[in-house]
Amino acid sequence: MKSTIFSLIEKDVSAFPSMPGAAAKLLKLLRNPDSSTAEVENILRCEPGLTANILKMTNSAYFGLTNRVGSIRQAMVLLGWKRLYQLVIASCVSAMMDKPVPGYDLPAGELWRHSIAVSAAAEGLAKELQLSGTDEIFTAGLLHDVGKMILGKFVEQDLVKIDFETYHNLSFEKVEQDILGTDHAEVGARILEKWRLPAEMIAAVRWHHEPENAPSISQMGDVVHVADFISLMIGVGVGREGLQYEPSKAVTRRLGIHIGHIEKIASQTLEWVSDLTASFK
Amino acid sequence: MNQVITVGDMKIGGKGDILVTHALGSCLGLMVYDPAAQVGGLLHAMLPLSKINLQKAAQNPYMFVDTGVPEMFRQLYEIGGQKSRMVIKAAGCGQPLGNSEMFQIGERNYTVLKKLLWKNNIMLEAEDVGGVISRTVYFDLSTGQVIISSKGVKKEL
Repeated sequence: MKSTIFSLIEKDVSAFPSMPGAAAKLLKLLRNPDSSTAEVENILRCEPGLTANILKMTNSAYFGLTNRVGSIRQAMVLLGWKRLYQLVIASCVSAMMDKPVPGYDLPAGELWRHSIAVSAAAEGLAKELQLSGTDEIFTAGLLHDVGKMILGKFVEQDLVKIDFETYHNLSFEKVEQDILGTDHAEVGARILEKWRLPAEMIAAVRWHHEPENAPSISQMGDVVHVADFISLMIGVGVGREGLQYEPSKAVTRRLGIHIGHIEKIASQTLEWVSDLTASFK
Repeated sequence: MNQVITVGDMKIGGKGDILVTHALGSCLGLMVYDPAAQVGGLLHAMLPLSKINLQKAAQNPYMFVDTGVPEMFRQLYEIGGQKSRMVIKAAGCGQPLGNSEMFQIGERNYTVLKKLLWKNNIMLEAEDVGGVISRTVYFDLSTGQVIISSKGVKKEL
């Protein structure tokens, strides 16, 4: 039975939408230090929707620019290429992640709010802890739960089993593994692989509930793990499974996190979420 | 009228109002009702102590238990509520699995609430706190009835 479900999930992963062609080209350019601004502009010239989305996000209070940005060239200068890379991905996934997610009982917009919250909380935490080399943390946070979009309908079909007493004290990704043969973190990682995103980002998504099982320690993955709990605890995108996940003590120890860090970031996260989501309306 | 209270917010009302708050994870949901005056309020506070971010607390006292609870009582007194008649119920304060101290915001919210109430000689009438579940609260100000809903199951508190 489990293997049948697993092959159905595999099928859904293969059928999951690819990155739009223009976005894939842009992401490639933006990761190559030899690309020119003109090349990026050339692609975006034929993509008015994507361009408008990027500019709207650029002008979000979250990024703190004082003057209104009206062109991609300006956005690249003021925000930098790494931010632009993040905004291209965010623009591509916002519409699909805005939909309701059955199984996890997330109404329309909640997966997106949760994802934005984890992105912002992860960036805030990385800054608070003065970590370096975490440029891709925004995108890793944004995409950490993308697997729920596929797994949701399978979770829904098995709700009766999932609510079974045996599973009440088991971290939810393990419940998924036990019943479905995989979990939403693994399915999400498979989607990121399909999108050819960077390996460390894929690992951060794959191990966000089990950082202790990751083949190598990643600060980015560790921070996303903690930011996910912050977002759930403050009720942003908390679904049917509630807080039924287990935080890793090894992660908080190696990041040197105190409860003060967590509460401080929690107190700021809602404002970040409203700044960022407003730019998509 | 149905009024929704978002995270870090509080609303008061009277007969005919139903106060609703969703997705109580580690946050505290506090329901206070004066049955004689038929007035009440619902607070959805996120964190225990305002000292973690005084600037935020100045903008919005309802984000924190230590500033939100006294402010809610003040407002209820203004619309005719009396301390001696208040019926107080708490919900939420959940936490993730395991016993990692770093993630005990729910328990800390509850402890700060209990201290505040104790100092002011107020008792909690009922509570549905702790655990890993996310809760939604419906608070009917015509009757004082509190309904807690989680995973589609409703029960009266």
